[in-house]
Amino acid sequence: MISVTPKAVIDSPNKIDLANLSPEQVALEIKNLNLYYGEKQALQNISMAIPKGQVTAFIGPSGCGKSTLLRCINRMNDLVDICKITGEINLHGENIYGRHVDVAELRRAVGMVFQRPNPFPKSIYENVVYGLRIKGENNRRVLDEAVEQALKSAALWNEVKDRLHDSALGLSGGQQQRLVIARAIAIQPEVLLLDEPTSALDPISTLTIEELINDLKQQFTVVIVTHNMQQAARVSDQTAFMYMGDLIEYSDTNTLFTTPSKKKTEDYITGRYG
Amino acid sequence: MDSLNISRHISGQFNEDLERIINLVMQMGGLVEKQLNEALESVSQGDEDLAKKVLSNDYQVNNLEVVIDDECTRVIAKRQPAAGDLRLVMAIIKTIADLERIGDEATKIAKVTLESLTSKHKELLLNLDNLGRRVLECLQLTLDAFTRMDVDAAFKIHQIDEKIDREYEALMRQLMTYMMEDPRSIPQVMSVIWSARALERIGDRCQNICEYIIYFVKGKVVRHTSVEDMKKI
Repeated sequence: MISVTPKAVIDSPNKIDLANLSPEQVALEIKNLNLYYGEKQALQNISMAIPKGQVTAFIGPSGCGKSTLLRCINRMNDLVDICKITGEINLHGENIYGRHVDVAELRRAVGMVFQRPNPFPKSIYENVVYGLRIKGENNRRVLDEAVEQALKSAALWNEVKDRLHDSALGLSGGQQQRLVIARAIAIQPEVLLLDEPTSALDPISTLTIEELINDLKQQFTVVIVTHNMQQAARVSDQTAFMYMGDLIEYSDTNTLFTTPSKKKTEDYITGRYG
Repeated sequence: MDSLNISRHISGQFNEDLERIINLVMQMGGLVEKQLNEALESVSQGDEDLAKKVLSNDYQVNNLEVVIDDECTRVIAKRQPAAGDLRLVMAIIKTIADLERIGDEATKIAKVTLESLTSKHKELLLNLDNLGRRVLECLQLTLDAFTRMDVDAAFKIHQIDEKIDREYEALMRQLMTYMMEDPRSIPQVMSVIWSARALERIGDRCQNICEYIIYFVKGKVVRHTSVEDMKKI
């Protein structure tokens, strides 16, 4: 009898080995990161490598530290007085918490989009070019080009191209969120942080944004925090499950949602937590 | 049922949905076991009424398959099960397909009873009976293992199938000798061969169900792997 042992693994084309990333594949490296809000430790010794050109999702119950971790990546926690951080987050091999780091420069490289769309009370056009203007770019042709590019990348161009100078506040919630994403990517960041970007949106807008996230990873490294586990399953390549400030499990999304290795992960994603 | 760990969902309705499905699978398993038992009984006793009863009851097995399939589809649509829950639903969908086929095989066996066999050929049925007992036991063990989602038992049952296959081959050789000695008996012997074949297939399907149990518990696919590779899991 012939017995055939198939190598029955059909990998997605962009599957990578998280445990053995080469330095070129890593966009961000988090090393032994601890974060304290006053006495309370909110993140405990987090170490993980976030691969380039992929979507990495953080999931976990409320208060598990996923948003805190996301905010660490572009030093948003600097604004919190009682916050103390130890450990490193390396971007291009350089610790972003190093003494000589220009935070404004860092935030140009690491863009962020929040839960509620927060367009400025200006025109659609001015919203998108805001970052470029701050950088000192005033050439009309360059700005026009950037607006078209960014809005096309954010899948919003066709809907707003005839009213670029109307107020951004007249857009729907889903459009506003895509506008904010366009604003973030207009300055060509390397990493895009999305903090529950669809939690204030309706299901159809949510799907549009999810589709957009999939397109964005061609150009950027995307890190997304989401409460919606199915969303993490749909959009991400890697998923990290966090619980009470600990990184419990970090693996490729397909594995995490079908055969998680930790009991806590299994309980959470099957709705047994609590 | 608690070994399945399904009663701990935050959503009580999800618990109920899964429990209902599992109960239906148990019911279907019990029914299939009864069908096979009665089919074998009808053969060994030559009880035509019992054989007819097996044939007419097959629709119940088929109905249950459709009902459980439906329930599983609904759970997937409404609850989006993940991880262990997802593997459980997948294992169940596959298991009921195999159970349904075992039901069909049982009717094939029952049909032999309705063949008019001469007393000489009735001897042949004795051999069929031995194979039948072994297969029935294998099915019972499989259903037990499924109820408890017992991986160790599943591994053991998976091995039993080899014995069934060997016994089947021995029976085949014997039946072939019969046919060579007396070509006029070929039609009757053929019907015995078909039911022996049905029994052998039931063994294979029990093996499949054991593979689903292993998949559910361990999250590893052991289908189409060699015995050596399975042992490594």
